[in-house]
Amino acid sequence: MKNKRNFLVLLFILFAAIITAGCSDTDEANSGDNENEAKGEKAAEQVLNIANDQEPAGLDPHKTPAHSSIRIYSQIYEGLLRFDENMEIEGQLAKEWEQPDDTSYVFHLKEGVKFHNGREMTADDVVYSFERILDEETASHIASYFSNVETVEAEDTYTVKFTLSEPDATFLSYLTNASAVVVPQETVEENEDLQQVAIGTGPFKLEEWVPDNHVTLVRNEDYYVEDQPKLDQVVYNTMKEESSRLSAIRTGEVDMTTLSAKSASLLEDQEGLNILDYQSLEYSYVGFNVDKEPFNDEKVRQALSLATDRQSIADIVWDGDAVISGPVAPSMGDWAIDVTEEELYQRNVDKAKELLAEAGYPDGFTTEITTASTYPDMVDTAQLLQQQWKDIGVEATIKQIEWGEYIDTWSNTSADILVGRNGSGTDPDRSLNYFFNTEGSANVWNFSNDNFDQLVEKGRETLDIEKRKEIYVEAQEEIINLSPNLFLVSPMNYVAVRDNVEGFTPYPHNGEEITEVFKK
Amino acid sequence: MYAYIMRRLLLLIPVLFGVSVFIFVIMRIVPGDVAMTILGTDATPESLAQLRKDFGLDLPIYQQYIQWITGVLTGDFGESMRTGKEVLPDILSRFKLTFELTLISAVISWIIAIPLGVIAAVRRNTRTDFGVRIISLLGVSVPNFALATVLILVLALFFSYSPPVGYVGFFEDPVKNLQIMILPSIVLGTAMAGAVMRMTRSSILEILRQDFIRTIRAKGAKERVVIFQHALRNAMIPILTIIGMQIGTLLGGTVIIEQIFSLPGLGQLVLTAITQRDFTVVQGAVLFIAFVFVMINLLVDIIYSYLDPRITYK
Repeated sequence: MKNKRNFLVLLFILFAAIITAGCSDTDEANSGDNENEAKGEKAAEQVLNIANDQEPAGLDPHKTPAHSSIRIYSQIYEGLLRFDENMEIEGQLAKEWEQPDDTSYVFHLKEGVKFHNGREMTADDVVYSFERILDEETASHIASYFSNVETVEAEDTYTVKFTLSEPDATFLSYLTNASAVVVPQETVEENEDLQQVAIGTGPFKLEEWVPDNHVTLVRNEDYYVEDQPKLDQVVYNTMKEESSRLSAIRTGEVDMTTLSAKSASLLEDQEGLNILDYQSLEYSYVGFNVDKEPFNDEKVRQALSLATDRQSIADIVWDGDAVISGPVAPSMGDWAIDVTEEELYQRNVDKAKELLAEAGYPDGFTTEITTASTYPDMVDTAQLLQQQWKDIGVEATIKQIEWGEYIDTWSNTSADILVGRNGSGTDPDRSLNYFFNTEGSANVWNFSNDNFDQLVEKGRETLDIEKRKEIYVEAQEEIINLSPNLFLVSPMNYVAVRDNVEGFTPYPHNGEEITEVFKK
Repeated sequence: MYAYIMRRLLLLIPVLFGVSVFIFVIMRIVPGDVAMTILGTDATPESLAQLRKDFGLDLPIYQQYIQWITGVLTGDFGESMRTGKEVLPDILSRFKLTFELTLISAVISWIIAIPLGVIAAVRRNTRTDFGVRIISLLGVSVPNFALATVLILVLALFFSYSPPVGYVGFFEDPVKNLQIMILPSIVLGTAMAGAVMRMTRSSILEILRQDFIRTIRAKGAKERVVIFQHALRNAMIPILTIIGMQIGTLLGGTVIIEQIFSLPGLGQLVLTAITQRDFTVVQGAVLFIAFVFVMINLLVDIIYSYLDPRITYK
């Protein structure tokens, strides 16, 4: 018996020792250097550890729209243009550009820009990249953005000419898309695609990707912008569980992580941490299958809009950190109209009942709201709507489905009412034309309105910015009035950053820019 | 014995065939489309059709199955639809982690459970016994995700400790590896320990009532000899059955624990693949897990005959 007791004591000491060894190691790991030495890599001075909530789904910029992939490949690849901090278009690989006529654009490339394999990037690479995006066999998710592009030609080594089939005001802003980037032909041909390899012109190079574990990027020593990037290494650690990300950022195991609104309030008073927030480009919505009764009647949809209390959705689902939104998210600045004054945004139960009665449903009706169980905010929103709509006699049940099935339901319009979240894109064309034009590739609602179609098509072709804005103001009011979707609220995004990280500012259109980031 | 093992191995063929057909059909019946989950809302119908064609999803289902199973028989499990990575190497590298996690958890559970189970049985109906029974009941009934979350929060909030991020293999960096593995192993180990403890206690109690124990005691054997050399060994058969099943289950991946502790194990692989409708990965992984499960059961059966020579297989 005594022997056994000794054995147990010994084991206990052993486990305690391992745990303590872990504790004492934390401080050293904070600097990041020791960790890398332990890995047997070269000692790096500036290492940023980021916690990612999702695993990247592949690294091919032309084929992968997942946000978890974009945040990584946008550090590796670059496009012709990008948005600056004020969401104004500026050159990235293009030094300057001109528009000889309404349908052609000529870009002059920066000289001496090198791919990570050492070869210089030239006009031929731009031509190849856009041919690849437009090639049906690539099955690129951004092919639809450039469907107006007729030809892409290299005029000389550093000059590229795009010819469009018709004037397109969205062209330049779509060129800033994180997926509209320049890739080297030889790398694509060697590897069939770019899901596992990455050779771009950007500030960071891919060092390794260990699935469900981490992606390591290292500084591109030949980067053409002087003094950028400031970090030697960036490690994106996949940590799907929010409680693990919280504990890792508290203890300094990671330097940066995205957070939900609810966790952001938990960390507010934590020493050594800064919580940054920014308005997202997303908004939550209710989508109707407008082919089906009773939602084929716009009065029913308007009644539901009047029965919806958007402010309480912002308060309850997003802890008050969300703004009421129209079809174009408020963070799009001038493009978005102020929706708070819209008649259909003022909760009015009596008016709603009147409209229902006019539509032939004086006692309301029963229906089903479908949403994705994967996202708690969508489920919470659905539950609030269920309660609010009861006041006008609409009895809704909620059906929660898993994400894969949800996407299927969305694309086949197999639900009567769908609660979800949309990205507003970086051009109003996306939020209006793409989702609600009769021919719009994401118009899954069966919505069709001639006047609206004409407006958004005119908006796309109008190159004068002021005139274009006027058109989109009208289009937004029209779509709110017709209510094929009810637009609800646009939430804030949160990033927790350790206080020794400097130079990080998230923007709505780019929440993860790290070229200026360094550690004190 | 060898004939028995051979026969069991032959039985693997229909089992794995059944599993392969089952999982293949199930994946194609559930709603959801891999092309749509990959390309998202921006995709054009042409892009979607092209992607489905690339994956061979435009073929009739039996042709898809024949293509896949012929590949599997030649050791080619195909490529992940989502990431383009080869499926089998990915499964094997993740299995290493899951195997290590299972092994450490199992050892922890044995260290806790078997001695405590024996003590509880020997001191039946004393305070020690009640104490052990309460502990084992807690082990069985506290869900491991709750224990894991509490453990992470308590360590972070009160001791400013969180396990290092980024998994490394045991042979690359044993210290960091153990720091990463010890918390999830404790969580899984204590949960396993509860069941093993209860089984040890009841099984030993039963053995202690048998005639041969009385005979051994009458011969004047020391109590330690009675318990450890005779009672425990005879009590091992049901304990081993439970342990075998626990290990088999754990080797299939422990989805929640892997997710909470950010471990790139088999469970994570399968979960991600299912939500993304990554057919090839799900099929490959499920087939692999079924294979491992059957092999563990076979191993347990073989160990029975060593523990109890009366058990023979023909």
